[in-house]
Amino acid sequence: MSKQDYDVVIIGSGPAGATTARLLAQANINVLLVDKRQELGAPVQCSGAVSRHALEEVDIPITDEFIQEPIYGFGIYDQSGAETRIDYRTLKPDEYGPEASKKPLGYVVDRRRFDRYLMTLAERAGAECMLKTEGLGYESIDDQHCRVHLRHFRRDFSVTCRVLIGADGLMSQVGKWAGLRTHIKITELASCLQFVVDRVETHGLLEIITGHEWAPGGYAWVFPKGHGYAEIGLGVIPTMSNNDAQWHVKHFMENSFFKERFSDSRILEIQGGGVPLAHPLRTQYADHLLLVGDAARHVNPITGGGIHTALSGGAVAAGFLQELLAQNSPTRADQMAGYQDAWLQELGNKMWKLYDVKTDIFRERDIYTRDQKLYETMSSYFSPESEYKKI
Amino acid sequence: MSNRSPVLFDVGWNACINCGACVAICPQPEPFISPFDTIAVDRPCDIACMLCEDICPVSTIEHTVLDGSIKDIPNGNGRSDIHP
Repeated sequence: MSKQDYDVVIIGSGPAGATTARLLAQANINVLLVDKRQELGAPVQCSGAVSRHALEEVDIPITDEFIQEPIYGFGIYDQSGAETRIDYRTLKPDEYGPEASKKPLGYVVDRRRFDRYLMTLAERAGAECMLKTEGLGYESIDDQHCRVHLRHFRRDFSVTCRVLIGADGLMSQVGKWAGLRTHIKITELASCLQFVVDRVETHGLLEIITGHEWAPGGYAWVFPKGHGYAEIGLGVIPTMSNNDAQWHVKHFMENSFFKERFSDSRILEIQGGGVPLAHPLRTQYADHLLLVGDAARHVNPITGGGIHTALSGGAVAAGFLQELLAQNSPTRADQMAGYQDAWLQELGNKMWKLYDVKTDIFRERDIYTRDQKLYETMSSYFSPESEYKKI
Repeated sequence: MSNRSPVLFDVGWNACINCGACVAICPQPEPFISPFDTIAVDRPCDIACMLCEDICPVSTIEHTVLDGSIKDIPNGNGRSDIHP
């Protein structure tokens, strides 16, 4: 670390934090980006699916460094195995396909390499980056500055900045420092477990399996993982089952309509995480502080996808801060509120609408009707006509 | 929130997959986290809501009630009433 004073300090170098850092650094804003981990993206807590549009929207070069497999569409299944297939290679054959003249719809990325690459881009843009650096707290100094306390390889130190960004994921502690209401309800946090497996065939599609029997409160998935590997996983809402996610994955693999397909599979990695199927935080800012990504609960409440919303949210934060810092204005909560307004306009209002759709599904007490609603919603969500397809 | 006795959590490290879900669900206003990004295991939890046990995808969090009795939580036990 060469300085003690920055314009912006960002805690957490995932997709949201690193993208915010890169875009701010490109605008000649002094940024310190820190992460407590020694290896970004690890332990993997994410399936890694992201649309091509999401990457292009924030100018992330599409490179083999992090891509595991291109995706061309979706297979949505109901509990019994009936499928709605949305394959863009068939729907729009002139546009989507593996040929050089065509493009994929999205990708499954390796989160370890992806997150490292995003930090590399931020560093190359001029952000100062530090691993093994944990945030300990922050306090206001005056209307325009705060002090952030950090620990790097057991050494405690402090820096000053005008704005602190909490990009520290679903386990965010930065929001708690500011007294923001970050608590998530158990009925809205999916408990997820996935296996990376060998010997399971895939076809360039994200396969989503609905049905209370397999994944109560969530859904199961089979995603291509490159090099002939696949991901098999699911998320469950704990209050809707007597069994944990591990039990449900085993049940799904051994008893579902895919049991023959999975019968020769070999587990190569075990990964898990909590995925919020919740509304965004109602307040995502405080004095000198704003939250981005999972820390602000910028996660799609229907799909549980968080990479696209993290990248887009990071861009919104960077755009807002460029203007705010250029005006040399205070960074109290009153001024920071503009970030949330910009985010709602760009993304958030649609996410709130999605939350209402999701809530309507899971308010239904009749399991059969609820399963039908989820299957139909998922099928329409991924269709070319969906109003939400850019989230 | 509950009025239960404080508890001390124990994480079965052999099964823990470091997913962080237990920390994410924790309603404690102050950070209640271990150096390994799990729920804290070195101090009592006075809320004792057990949400961390409920959310764990591999059911590897158990607790000791600090009034002296010990509660074993086998797979799935301790979960709340089932409702959507």
